[in-house]
Amino acid sequence: MSFFGFNTTLPRDQDTGPAGSRGFFENPDPFAEVARASALEDDDAIDFEDTYDGLGDQLNDDQDEFNDDTFGGGDTAPAVGRDFDFFGRTAQVADAIGEEHVRYTLQNPQAAPPAPLHAHVAAHPVAESTKRTGYEKYSDPGYIPDLQAKSSVWGLSQKKPEPSPAPMPAMPMPSRKMMMSLEEVEAQMRNRGQAFGPIPTQSIPQQMPDPSYMRHPQDFPTLPDGFPANIPRNSSEHSLRRVDCPRICRTLLQAFRSCMEARVLCLHLVQNNIPQNLPPQGPRHAGPPPAQRQQQMPPPPSRGPNGGLPVITNPQQLVHLTEEQRNAYLMEDAKRAKRNHKIFLLSRGNGLMTPQDKNFITRIQLQQLVAAAGNVADADPEAVLAEDFYYQVYSQIRGAPRQHPHQPLGHFAQTYLLQTGNRIGGHGNRRAFQGADNHMQRMQQQVQRAVEAAKAKPKNKQLIIEGSLGKISFSNAKAPKPMLNLKRPDSSEGARPKKVQSDLSTSDRKSLLGNIEAVYNALMSMEDMERTMPPPPEEGDTEAIQEHMEWRQQVQTLNQKLWQALKVMEPIVPNATTPHPFIAFLSYPKGKKAIPRIFRHIDQEQRVTILTMIVVHLDSLDVVRLAQHSGPGEAQLSVAVREAIDLFSLAVMPSLLGYVNEAPFNIIIGLLGLVIAQTQVIHVARTKTGLGILTMLLSRAEIVKEAGQASERDWQQWVEKFNVLFDMLEPGLAHIFPGSINSGDDMYVWQFLAAVGIGASPEQQQRLVIAVKDRVMETVGYSKTLPADMSSQRLGNVNLFMRAIGLDVELLG
Amino acid sequence: MLFFSFFKTLTNQTVTIELKNDIRIRGILKSVDQYLNIKLDDVEVLDLDKYPHLSSVKNMFIRGSVVRYVMLPRSEVDVGLLEDATRREAANQAGKAR
Amino acid sequence: MADNEDAGASVSEPLDLVRLSLDEIVFVKLRGDRELKGRLHAYDSHCNLVLGDVEETIYVVEEDENEEETTRTIKKQEEMLFVRGDSVVLISPQA
Repeated sequence: MSFFGFNTTLPRDQDTGPAGSRGFFENPDPFAEVARASALEDDDAIDFEDTYDGLGDQLNDDQDEFNDDTFGGGDTAPAVGRDFDFFGRTAQVADAIGEEHVRYTLQNPQAAPPAPLHAHVAAHPVAESTKRTGYEKYSDPGYIPDLQAKSSVWGLSQKKPEPSPAPMPAMPMPSRKMMMSLEEVEAQMRNRGQAFGPIPTQSIPQQMPDPSYMRHPQDFPTLPDGFPANIPRNSSEHSLRRVDCPRICRTLLQAFRSCMEARVLCLHLVQNNIPQNLPPQGPRHAGPPPAQRQQQMPPPPSRGPNGGLPVITNPQQLVHLTEEQRNAYLMEDAKRAKRNHKIFLLSRGNGLMTPQDKNFITRIQLQQLVAAAGNVADADPEAVLAEDFYYQVYSQIRGAPRQHPHQPLGHFAQTYLLQTGNRIGGHGNRRAFQGADNHMQRMQQQVQRAVEAAKAKPKNKQLIIEGSLGKISFSNAKAPKPMLNLKRPDSSEGARPKKVQSDLSTSDRKSLLGNIEAVYNALMSMEDMERTMPPPPEEGDTEAIQEHMEWRQQVQTLNQKLWQALKVMEPIVPNATTPHPFIAFLSYPKGKKAIPRIFRHIDQEQRVTILTMIVVHLDSLDVVRLAQHSGPGEAQLSVAVREAIDLFSLAVMPSLLGYVNEAPFNIIIGLLGLVIAQTQVIHVARTKTGLGILTMLLSRAEIVKEAGQASERDWQQWVEKFNVLFDMLEPGLAHIFPGSINSGDDMYVWQFLAAVGIGASPEQQQRLVIAVKDRVMETVGYSKTLPADMSSQRLGNVNLFMRAIGLDVELLG
Repeated sequence: MLFFSFFKTLTNQTVTIELKNDIRIRGILKSVDQYLNIKLDDVEVLDLDKYPHLSSVKNMFIRGSVVRYVMLPRSEVDVGLLEDATRREAANQAGKAR
Repeated sequence: MADNEDAGASVSEPLDLVRLSLDEIVFVKLRGDRELKGRLHAYDSHCNLVLGDVEETIYVVEEDENEEETTRTIKKQEEMLFVRGDSVVLISPQA
């Protein structure tokens, strides 16, 4: 875009056109052709006077306010600045320019005042005239490279800061419109200035601390009196302005300024005969006054590379210098230009941003961050959770910083913290124990209901007890009572053939796994429901009550779904070749792991049903069936089975224990009856899991008795069952210890023996001691060979039992 | 997004990545994106004698698609939670498909 | 079964079958003559997997001097392994 409204691109450049933004810094080497140009300098070509028509002399010197806009002050800068080499190219077509000019003057005689001079020039070609290369400027002593910082650095469109409060209309020119009068141009400038004014100039220039930049041209301090004020003002302001962003380098600017001042003074002294000839606007390429040169001539770039140095403004001066002076002058100036260029290269990024700019950018960045975070936060937390479930919950469990702490994840964290089984093989068991504790606490809260439920269903008790006689039946409101006939061989014979439980067929396995996944689906829906629990309604708030009721209804529905999926209530088929679906469920690791979560979401009735189911099938459980050890010296169980046992102890037992510890006595009696009636006690007793459950029942009974909660009749029933159990156990007592004496893992056996011993009669205690005395003695003897801590641990285990029957290992000497 | 979510919990853990060209690299997992591109710090190339050109590399960005395995510290993986997250992801996918 | 309406449990798509094997031992065949056996902890629609207690078997075909091909197997153990899905050829329950 040019001041004159022409398309200033040469035809061959029009492809790239002004779109290709090529600022000063992007030019690989603006000085590359200087040498070449100076080499050509003495070739005869067009002299300056060929093109200079002296029109500059005709200009009105009062009108300098707009010079900046004309030569780089306005927002025309970006377009013009895109072609750094513009001047050179313009100069290369100077011939054409000259022709056009001649033609114009011929056509418009009234515009002829410069014509005589022009004619004179044409008539007297000067010897020094050179062929134009366009790079003459670079050897010009006063040349200052067009320092053009890319204002895109600031993320703003390239608009010139306007430091002066004086009306400085910025003006982009209509680039293709031809033939405008100066008045039109000015009007347009004003319009554009108004249109563009405030946006770019507020944030940046007002923050500019650079006094040398801010200073109004009139304040320029070092002007010698009498020197045409408009020259230095114009030039200095011009060049300063031209440096698109003053932040480029304050010191550089000051250097420029002093340099220019020196030059001005020097020239003034040397050429004091011609100051009146200095064209005030100083475009050395001799652009004629716009009003006279609007025709097709390629106009000078509004920001020619030569800056506004007075010496440049009239190269005629050079002609009048002596050869020596001129050479010295040119050399000096070439040096200076080189130095300035170097400084500039070095200081490219210096001071590009003031602290205020930086603050501004920081604010923008912060805003963007806030906005971005806000967007995420605004998103549906459920959606975020769905996409990022693992991270969100994991972070909460492990205490990592969470991105969205406001999200309702407490329930999830609780769920997975309570999931003791899942900690197996992972990190320490500390959390698992905590989980179990939490579980106990929650169970405690339901004691009342458990007791009431048991009391309200005396028939249940009866039925369970009847189980010992071969019948078992459960019923509750949700599940119709399945009447089952569970006639089984008399377990006291101990020779009952094991059920044939070969590995399940593929289809069974698939459907079982499908069931388990259904359980997990139901569980996860219930856990989701738990999170959406409405707050407890206040009295009288019917809407809230209604909401709460609906929620409860949904929970109930899901509970039923879960219960169905568990298949606990599937009829027990006697002598079936496949295990009960629920027992099969428990044989999978993920089935075991689900138990603690399931127990959180079912009521006491359902819990006791599960417990009963497990007890009835105790010898069918994988952890009992596959975990038989026939006595000391047996080969170790397989890794898979040991893992299953550990998992059962960690995942299932705490839940069962949690229930049993609160269970009413009649339930305990019933369960013990089921063990006796439905399972092969000898087999059960040879497993860790089986002994664990027996210990659980026996110790609970003892606690109930100690607490005086057992009625005489209940206690009688219990003693009967206990005696049966003891008789069944006694023959196998020597074989319930796993592995040899040195294997070590027999603590649970001593615990069981202790539980038996507490409840046993003195006569039974004696039989007990006789049955296990060998093991006691062995252990005591063996422990003497062990290190102190292991020894005391082993003795402590034995002593647990010994004290239960009123003895102590100390007594054994 | 399951595995993106998963890997986010493993940042700042030491992992070993096996690439499809058999190079194995151990390093600290610094970040991961939705494509499971991975940034590793303090890297150490196993079998360095086979791949000496990587000896001076201290950190790297690995395009997700060239990864074969990532060996993880077991203690930093909550398998139960991960399985549930997988179930949820499967349900989400099924929901989207419908 | 009673839970037909339960979409998550019914097997309607291939990956639903994989879901059944969550927390179960699976056999995975990979490109490049590799096989894995381990407990499946996670998968997604790209067949990205996380396996625990994995045994990797690599089959290497070698030619001896008689130009006879012999297959050598290399076995490796990993405690926890992420497998990128684009290497996976098949996933099978149990081995």
